Amino acid sequence: MDLRSERSTALVVTDDASYARNALDAIWSSENEDQKRLDPLIIFQTSSLARLPLQSSYVDQVIFFTRSVEFPVDELYAEIFRVMTPGGKLVVYRSFQIEISEVETALSALERKLLLAGFLEGERFQLKKIAHTVGIKAKKPSWKIGSSFAIKKTVKSPLKIQMDDDSDLIDEDSLLTEEDLKKPQLPTVGDCEVGSTRKACKNCTCGRAEQEEKVQKLELSADQLNNPQSACGNCGLGDAFRCSTCPYKGLPPFKLGEKVSLSGNFLAADM
Amino acid sequence: MEMKSKTLLILYATQTGNALDVAERIAREAERRACTVVIRSTDDYDANSLPAEDTVIFVVSTTGQGDTPDSMKVFWRFLLQRNIGSHWLEGIHYAVFGLGDSGYQKYNFVAKKLDKRLSDLGATAVVEKGLGDDQHPSGYEAALDPWLSSLWSRLNEIKPHFFPKGPDFLVSNEELIGLPKFQVTYHNVDDIDSRLSTATDFKYLQMQIGRARSMSSGKVPHEKCKPDAFLKMVKNFPLTRASHEKDVRHFEFEFVSQVIKYEIGDVLEVLPSQSPAAVDSFIQRCNLDPESLITVHPREMENRHIDNNVNTLDVPIKLRTFVELTMDVTSASPRRYFFEVMSFFATAEHEKERLQYFASPEGRDDLYQYNQKERRTVLEVLEDFPSVQMPFEWFVQLAPPLKNRAFSISSSPLAHPTQVHLTVDVVSWTTPFKRKRQGLCSTWLASLDPEQSIYIPVWFHKGLLPPPPPSLPLIVIGPGTGCAPFRGFVEERAVQSQSENDGVLSEAKGGGFYAAFSRDQPQKVYVQHKMQEQSERIWNLLCEGAAIYVAGSSTKMPSDVMVAFEEIISKESGAPRESAVRWLRSLEKAGKYHVEAWS
Repeated sequence: MDLRSERSTALVVTDDASYARNALDAIWSSENEDQKRLDPLIIFQTSSLARLPLQSSYVDQVIFFTRSVEFPVDELYAEIFRVMTPGGKLVVYRSFQIEISEVETALSALERKLLLAGFLEGERFQLKKIAHTVGIKAKKPSWKIGSSFAIKKTVKSPLKIQMDDDSDLIDEDSLLTEEDLKKPQLPTVGDCEVGSTRKACKNCTCGRAEQEEKVQKLELSADQLNNPQSACGNCGLGDAFRCSTCPYKGLPPFKLGEKVSLSGNFLAADM
Repeated sequence: MEMKSKTLLILYATQTGNALDVAERIAREAERRACTVVIRSTDDYDANSLPAEDTVIFVVSTTGQGDTPDSMKVFWRFLLQRNIGSHWLEGIHYAVFGLGDSGYQKYNFVAKKLDKRLSDLGATAVVEKGLGDDQHPSGYEAALDPWLSSLWSRLNEIKPHFFPKGPDFLVSNEELIGLPKFQVTYHNVDDIDSRLSTATDFKYLQMQIGRARSMSSGKVPHEKCKPDAFLKMVKNFPLTRASHEKDVRHFEFEFVSQVIKYEIGDVLEVLPSQSPAAVDSFIQRCNLDPESLITVHPREMENRHIDNNVNTLDVPIKLRTFVELTMDVTSASPRRYFFEVMSFFATAEHEKERLQYFASPEGRDDLYQYNQKERRTVLEVLEDFPSVQMPFEWFVQLAPPLKNRAFSISSSPLAHPTQVHLTVDVVSWTTPFKRKRQGLCSTWLASLDPEQSIYIPVWFHKGLLPPPPPSLPLIVIGPGTGCAPFRGFVEERAVQSQSENDGVLSEAKGGGFYAAFSRDQPQKVYVQHKMQEQSERIWNLLCEGAAIYVAGSSTKMPSDVMVAFEEIISKESGAPRESAVRWLRSLEKAGKYHVEAWS
């Protein structure tokens, strides 16, 4: 296929041979295509066609003629997508012997199908020379897998790698199994100080954190603050040594018998 | 028979430093067992050399959106090449430990994919991949401890040559800690050409920051550590009603240094200022002289960066300045190793015991409660362990590095050529022990008065939201502070289309502006509900080729929004759900679906 670069390949698919013949000439002259440059393959009688006997990324242009609403079937769109080269053009022509209002619905449905098959830049148009014919042009995207941006915090890359374009890379999502997509089972938190009910997340946005804050206030009495005592001896040592049920938890270390200062914290918010 | 390396290689890919910590811990444990080990970051290692290795341990983090850390992008791309072949790593052994957060949809995807790819390339796993989870009650260490012990036991079985002193050999505790990674040199005032100017000249400040941060990192030359620019605040006002619940500010800054050309969607990094009282308190507690002049170097020669310009020997800076600019003493929490080293320097028996307990696997959960969940600071830990007198060099190595905070820029340079705007949530919360904490950077910025002319060191870099072409239709979803980058987008469009603000979001033109106020009614109304209300409008825009941008601060929101799009597409087009899902995925691949989420 060495001459492919000089000629663009086209595929014409239709379910009505006679109609197609007339229409082809009209279309090509309107598209200003040089007939000799094109190398069209023509497939007829494709009413129930769902697969195309071509390799992937083979044709640059695909042209459909059809009279019936059912053709082409949805699977055929996926096939067309497959055989087209990235950046290739698709044109779908429909001839109508029906009311104008139904044209609109038919065309919208067609546009949606094209969009869902992955074609972009759908555009409607009409052919002047052939009556009752409307069409939609679309393109297959020339994809860039992933986007990359230069990051100013430079990543040193002393690697000498031959890296061409992205089609040389495997699809990394294919490395994941069903099992990988599941979330892990986390142990339930069983510590007594937290309690078994769900707590607010650390970046809570739903308001639960504020509710919790309002409910629980410091439970120390004035006496406990002015003249702190400790049966176990650990209360004054600081949080690192306190029991989980210690009433002085959260406070800085203090000396037994001396008044406890409430905030020794440089980042403490004003209460 | 090929002579393979007798050195265990540890490759890490870290985003916030956690993977590096894990890698360093694995290295220490290897050294305890008399195993020779080398640690490298994936952006400092030529993947072409992998086949020459014997055994490689990978420690890799997964970012919020399931992506590899920046430092792994090139390395990973290399491994994904189609033409490498399935025998390339035959004979190589490996093990993978991943760090992730199961609150995100794409939990530990990087570790999972890496493990599979290595196996597909012919390498043999020593043990199953370990998956650390931030959501676990005691964090990633819960998975790391058992994974490490099975790793050593398995390696002893199949690779005894790594352990020349036998499988049961362990270096004793006393010899364990060795020397700190850094050395600190004190200089005389007379020795040097001392620029002791306290001027607020920003060029001098820039040099100081560059020098301090370069010394602290040990590796990055100071040219790269210098801030890109300095800003001063010109406007500071709240966007939320006064209350104790939420305080979101709009900040406007002017360049005081040269103007940096930025683009919408870019990210501004800010170096926060620490409370002077806190810094003084720390220095005093360590019995240091804040005015002494120091230089800091990595102890190992091979880790020093060779400066191209030989004349640039590190100029000494004040100890106080070094601490202030590089060591976080009032905000971030230290890590487990900090407690382990502290135990060696505790003179009170009960303190020593407690610290050793915290550093052990048995004490891991309690350490997590005391330290990580409480956001315990270095200063607070020192307060709780008054007998500890640790040399300054260890603090330089183990105190959390003072980190820049990143914000999405909320202005367009077309609309404000010499300014940068930010939309910042002033963070405050209550810990499980009922202590009130505040975010360091957001609180500092909120406290700034435009009259004061304080210089703010900043860096600019690209985010995950590339600026769209001017005429591309857009659907942007930005709840909460997620609206920040899109304010810039709207400003830019208004200037580009020269249509005054009522053109860009005009409903008549197919656009619109819709806000979800979640708490205004008994049931929650979020952005995805508003999206459903506008499903036809959204579908029309998508048919016109619109690109989608999502930004905001939540783990669930991006996936909720994606689900909403799937539902809308399925409903409006009549196609089955799977088609809609596939279509959205192709939109992502085509570079038309962008998400920037932060927590």
